[in-house]
Amino acid sequence: MNDLNRWLLIPAVILPAAASAPAFAVQYLTVEQAQKVLFPAADQFEAKPIVLSAAQRRAIESASGVRVRSPEVNAWRARQGGRASGWFVLDEVYGKHEFITYAVAIGLDGAVKGVEILDYRETHGGEVQNPKWRAQFTGKKAGDTLKLDEDIKNISGATLSCKHLTDGVKRILATYEAALK
Amino acid sequence: MSALARVPGLADVSYQRARPLLGTLVEIAATGSDAAQVQRAIELAFDAVETVHTLMSYHSADSDVSRINRDAFNAPVVVDAHTWRVLAAAQAFAEASDGLFDVTVAPTLTRLGFLPRHVDFPRISGQGDWRHVMLLPDHQVRLARRLRIDLSGIAKGYAVDLAIQTLRDAGMTSARVNAGGDLRLYGDSAQTVHVRHPLGATTIVPLLQFSEGAAATSAGYYASRRYQGRQIMPVIHPGTKIACDVTRSVTVLAQDCMCADALTKVVHADPEQAAVILARFNARAFIVENDPLTGGCRVLDTAATGQHHWHARWGVGTQHV
Repeated sequence: MNDLNRWLLIPAVILPAAASAPAFAVQYLTVEQAQKVLFPAADQFEAKPIVLSAAQRRAIESASGVRVRSPEVNAWRARQGGRASGWFVLDEVYGKHEFITYAVAIGLDGAVKGVEILDYRETHGGEVQNPKWRAQFTGKKAGDTLKLDEDIKNISGATLSCKHLTDGVKRILATYEAALK
Repeated sequence: MSALARVPGLADVSYQRARPLLGTLVEIAATGSDAAQVQRAIELAFDAVETVHTLMSYHSADSDVSRINRDAFNAPVVVDAHTWRVLAAAQAFAEASDGLFDVTVAPTLTRLGFLPRHVDFPRISGQGDWRHVMLLPDHQVRLARRLRIDLSGIAKGYAVDLAIQTLRDAGMTSARVNAGGDLRLYGDSAQTVHVRHPLGATTIVPLLQFSEGAAATSAGYYASRRYQGRQIMPVIHPGTKIACDVTRSVTVLAQDCMCADALTKVVHADPEQAAVILARFNARAFIVENDPLTGGCRVLDTAATGQHHWHARWGVGTQHV
C-alpha cells in the first residue's frame, strides 16, 4: 500500500451543518442590460405586454407540453432604426428550491437568438412555492427583505433547474407562435 | 496581454452572466477595464462553450460524437480539432488510470436511462473498451469494436478551459467560468468555492479557496435516478459496469478543468487507487460525505503537495461564517 492510500480512512475535517448557507441569490443582468446583450444593435424596446386567452394558453400547452402558469407575457419588440428586429420576452421559472428570471430573444425568423439569465435564487426552505415570497423580488434587487448569502458565488456542483429552464424556453417559443407572431 | 489590457489607474468593470448550455447553467464572470470589452469577451467565451456543446453532444444527431458512434466502426470519421484534443486527453486519462476513466461506457448509461437512445446507431457488440477507440492521423477516428462513446465526463471541463482561454486572450484581468460544477478561475484574489451537501443539495458548505486553477465536482444530487431499488448516478465503473452510489460528492482540484473533470470519475470509480493517479496529474481530491453524527459533512482530502494556489479553507483555521 502506498502512503497516499491511507487518507481515505480518516476524515480530514468535519464541516458542521451550521456552516451551511440558508439561501443565496445572484443577479446577473437587469432587464435593460439583458436587452442590450441580446439585441446589441437595437435602439428601441417597445413594451408589448400580453394577456393570453384561454384558447391561447391551451394552444401553448399542447404545442410545448409545458404548463402555462401565468397568462401574462412580458414581451418587448426590439427595433433598429424603426424596423422590427425581434422579440424580447422576460419570464420566470421555479422548482422546489429555486426561482430563475430569464429572457429569451426571438429573431424575425421565429428562432431563439439567445437566452440570458437575469436572476437566480435558491433556498432550502419551501418558500419558493409561495407567490408572496416570489413577489418580493419583482422590480427589486435580491436580498432586500430576505436573508440571503450574496457572498456565495462559486458553487461547484450543478445548479438546480436546467430542466425547468429548458421547458420555459419551449413554452416561450410556443407563446411566440400563438400570440406574438 | 492584448492591447486592450488593463491601464493602471482606471477603474475595473466586472460582469457575470449565465446561460443554459451543456445541460446545465453556465456562468461566466470577467473583469476588465472597459464595459463593452468585458461584455464582448463574455460573449466570445459563451461562443466557445457553445462550440464544444455542438461538437461533443451525445444527444444531437450531427455532433462529432454521434458521427463517430454511427459510422466510425465502418470507416474512419474526421473530427474537429477540439474533439480530437478531448479524445486524445481521454485516452491519456484512460491509460493513466488503467481504464478507470473510459469514454466507452455510453451503452451502460443508455441502459440505465441517463443517455437517450438513437435508433440509427448500429448495434453494439458489448465487447471492447477505450483501447478500441483508434486515433488516426489527420484527426480521423476509427472504432475497432462495435462501441459507443460519450464525452460528457470530460468535454464540460474542456469547454470551461476553452472559455477561460478566450477570456485571457480578450485581455480580462480576472475571470471565472462555472459549468454546473466544473469551475475554473484566474485573477488576483482568492475565491471561496462552495459545494453542496451530498444528501441535501440546497445546503451549501464552503470547502476551499483558490485564485488560479480548476475545481470539478461530481455528485448525484440532481443527476441521480432510481434503478432496481437503488439510487444511482451517471458515473459507471468501467470494470464492473455498475453505477456509483450517490452518497458522496467528489471535488478534484487541478491546473485545468478538463483534468479535474475527468479525474472526478476516477475517484468515484475507485477512491483508493485514485490518490496515486491524482498525484501523477498534480491534482488533489476532496470527498464529501454525510456525517451522520452531526448532520454536517465529512471531508476526506488527498492533500497532494505542490499546489501553490490551494488553501483548504477548513484546514487552516480561516473559518468565518
